[in-house]
Amino acid sequence: MNQLHFPILSLITYIPLVGAILVSLMSENNKKMIRFVTFSVLVIDFIVSLPLFFYFDPSTYHMQFVERVPWIKSMGFQYYIGIDGISLFLVLLTTFLTPIAQLSTWSAIDKKVKMFNIVILLLQTGMLGVFISLDIFLFYVFWEIQLIPMYLMIGIWGGPNRVFATMKFFLYTFAGSVLMMIAIMALYFLNHHFTGVYTTDMVQLMKTPLPLHLQMWMFIAFLLAFAIKVPMWPFHTWLPWAHVEAPTAGSVILAGVLLKMGTYGFLRFNLPMFPQMTHEFASFVVALSIIGIFYGAFVAMVQPDIKKLVAYSSVSHLGYSMLGMFALTQTGMEGSILQMINHGVSTGALFLTVGIIYERRHTRLISEYGGLASLIPVFATFFMIFTLSSIAVPGTNGFVGEFMILLGAFESNHIYGIIVAFGGLFSAVYMLTMYKRVVFLKVTKPKNLGLKDMNKREWAYMVPLLIFVFWIGIYPNTFLSKMRVSVEHLLNQVNRTTVNVNTQESRLQPITTVVVKKG
Amino acid sequence: MLYSMNDFMAIIPEIILAVFAIAILLIDLWLPKKLKGFNGILALLGVATSLASVIMTYGTNQSAFNNMFVMDASGSFASIIILLTTFVVIVMSFDFLKREDINVGEYYEILLFSVIAMQVLASTYNLITMFIAVETLSLGMYVLTGFLRDKDESVEGAMKYYILGSFASSFLVLGIGLMYGLFGSVDLNVIKSGLMQADSFHIWISIFAFLMIFVGFGFKVAAFPFHSWTPDVYAAAPTPISAFMSIAPKVASFLALMRFLVVGLGPIEIEWTKVLWVVAVLTMTFGNTVALWQKDLKRLLGYSSIAHAGYMLVGITAANALGYGAVMFYLFGYLFMNLGAFAVIEFISSKGDRNTEISHLKGFGYKYPILGAAMLIFMFSLAGVPPTAGFIGKYYLFSAAVKSQLYYLALIGVVNSAISAYFYLNIVVTMYMKGESEESINVLNSFPLKAVVIFGAIGVLYVGILPNSFLNIALHSIGF
Repeated sequence: MNQLHFPILSLITYIPLVGAILVSLMSENNKKMIRFVTFSVLVIDFIVSLPLFFYFDPSTYHMQFVERVPWIKSMGFQYYIGIDGISLFLVLLTTFLTPIAQLSTWSAIDKKVKMFNIVILLLQTGMLGVFISLDIFLFYVFWEIQLIPMYLMIGIWGGPNRVFATMKFFLYTFAGSVLMMIAIMALYFLNHHFTGVYTTDMVQLMKTPLPLHLQMWMFIAFLLAFAIKVPMWPFHTWLPWAHVEAPTAGSVILAGVLLKMGTYGFLRFNLPMFPQMTHEFASFVVALSIIGIFYGAFVAMVQPDIKKLVAYSSVSHLGYSMLGMFALTQTGMEGSILQMINHGVSTGALFLTVGIIYERRHTRLISEYGGLASLIPVFATFFMIFTLSSIAVPGTNGFVGEFMILLGAFESNHIYGIIVAFGGLFSAVYMLTMYKRVVFLKVTKPKNLGLKDMNKREWAYMVPLLIFVFWIGIYPNTFLSKMRVSVEHLLNQVNRTTVNVNTQESRLQPITTVVVKKG
Repeated sequence: MLYSMNDFMAIIPEIILAVFAIAILLIDLWLPKKLKGFNGILALLGVATSLASVIMTYGTNQSAFNNMFVMDASGSFASIIILLTTFVVIVMSFDFLKREDINVGEYYEILLFSVIAMQVLASTYNLITMFIAVETLSLGMYVLTGFLRDKDESVEGAMKYYILGSFASSFLVLGIGLMYGLFGSVDLNVIKSGLMQADSFHIWISIFAFLMIFVGFGFKVAAFPFHSWTPDVYAAAPTPISAFMSIAPKVASFLALMRFLVVGLGPIEIEWTKVLWVVAVLTMTFGNTVALWQKDLKRLLGYSSIAHAGYMLVGITAANALGYGAVMFYLFGYLFMNLGAFAVIEFISSKGDRNTEISHLKGFGYKYPILGAAMLIFMFSLAGVPPTAGFIGKYYLFSAAVKSQLYYLALIGVVNSAISAYFYLNIVVTMYMKGESEESINVLNSFPLKAVVIFGAIGVLYVGILPNSFLNIALHSIGF
């Protein structure tokens, strides 16, 4: 079955589900117990996921820890899961970040605690399912499942405009994904047309060359679904709403994991399945990414609300990730994947810091703060480190990712590189200005005088994030070495040149496969 | 010509129901008011026995009464869906009838007779049999719609349904007459062979006849522009009957429509798919768009059922075996979600079958956590979000369209799906996100009703996650 001879991925995915059932049987009034059990389940889940890292074989691009069981036989759908060097870190990021996010809610969420914890556990199952699915139908199922808990999380425990925000979040993503559904169906039938097999096995589908005019439509459908999720400019409008209204834990998971589903989708579908279109659309996507980088930065500069500022900075950071990916070079793509992890760690941490002061003062307006450095120095220090990591200062994780992306951009096109190099400047402007106004200057609001510094629980969830900021910043090879071969293989797939040339109606024409040389 | 024993063997499920229906009619006369609940038990027993006999004979292919009646897998599968629906609806009716003080035997008796008509409608290739079955089942439905005879809306709804229904039936009979005039037979197989050799004049007239007959069926399945009765009647009818109407007659009508189109009009497939394409698009778009503004849950589900009829028409428009199978599968999944949703509506309704506005669900998810969670599942299923039966069903319907390369149709379908998510989720919003309700709602707190809700939720999830066996049955039941 796989190198561990043990269905480890299923175990990781369904431990939270079992936990959710367990929690649903507990009494609503025993809040402490519910929180503790949920946290333990999530920590166990993280510990169980660690063998993935240690037993992962970095010398092959083949899928590992594979499990494969027929699911819907009449259509050829399978329960087929496994990971490669690309999804490995996204799975680990998920299992790492969710317990941290849950720990931050011990005091923040005091209403409907039981339901909240059930929702967070179900969300974990849904998110993990997306990253491990190797069957395109299974992928789609998980892709939509995780929308439901997130929708409830924003809608029930969110801020004053939560209903609008959560509806916008759901409908936007749902609209994008139903288009993807059509593309998946088309892919399924076309694959049958060209190979004679009905399958939704992603690894097989990647090998099927498709005629160009059909590739284009499918590429666009997948592009829309993933671009909304990432979100790329101009599909980002749901993001600030969702982030601002969501409870802290929701924002952390949204930024840390959910947005990565979009970038992951590009890596898993658009690039390997539609290689010619990837080249055709590369400059278009790069253009959108560059607009996103600058747009996010400029809008972030004028935000009075810290959370909204961080939300817009997400648009900017994920622009980098998309740019690195569509630079279509080894360095750029590795940087892009690293940037996904970095964004999860740093932005997640920033949302948590915002959550910490919000819990004490119940406001997120920058103007309500000032001079926190003298009042709560420990908090100010943590905040500074994550701010610097977000700006990509050397020594932090952000630097490695953005630098690799920059290199990749230069390798692919000098102009991209030059433009993007300026992007870093702007992120320093908005982050440092915000930091200065919140932490330095004089204490102007008397309400801030009574602020308490971080407690033990807050230390407990901030320190692990801190470790990763420096680990990735100082020795990124731990991570890069595991993804190298998979990224190489992905680039080979993108650069392959076989196409089915089939001019018009694919139903009526015989199958012809020819090799076309691309420049 | 004399009929043999075999002919009667083919209609045993129907005979069983008829026997029980007549028994209820007679026994009801002697039952004292306190024991009226016995009628319901008897009806349940009848449905269960009939269901058992359908399942036991499943898979046999037989033609009876000079091809007036056929017994095949698709008909049996439709019967199973219809009988299952009836069973659940009877369970839903127990405490409802008691509360509304209409606990009389006729309710069950009429219900069973119309079920017989539905089973017949689902198992014939003969247009005259279809017509008689449609009329019989409609008659039952008219009466049951007006069963809350002290409530003005109920009577008005029944009247409206009756007048519009008779109007549609007259189109149906006109179309059948034209078909008979053209081909000298009402048997769909004869019509098919006639059409294959027909000249262009005959084909034009038969297209006209098709349109007439389609009006009749379109009325039954609530397709645009023959849908206008649906929301009114759903709102007017007793809630269990609304639930029943949203599924059982549709199963029979959809199967009959498919037999008529695929077998009878097979040679002019290109023509009727064009008509159905347009009707499917209009039906789903209309249903979903108008549903956005609904305040009453029953009316909302009425419009939603129009939209779902549109989705199923997509499956027929695809004109391939996958599509026909998908329609049957969809109806099977629709059974669980719609019955469950109607059961929740019945649960919150108060005497006189009133107070079914969406706003009455405020805080419902906290007051009744299990029923709330079930309603949430039904809403996501109706919107077509996995892991529910609604999602798998919709996936097959649209993939049938994609298979026939009707990309635009599939695209319009999924866009509709996205639109519909808004109003279904709005119900979830009311249940969970508008805070808790201060007013105490007077609910119909009945155990059978709760059992139905939970049955629905489990069914939706089971069919959604492990659809394999049901899908096989549905896809293989289609023999035409």
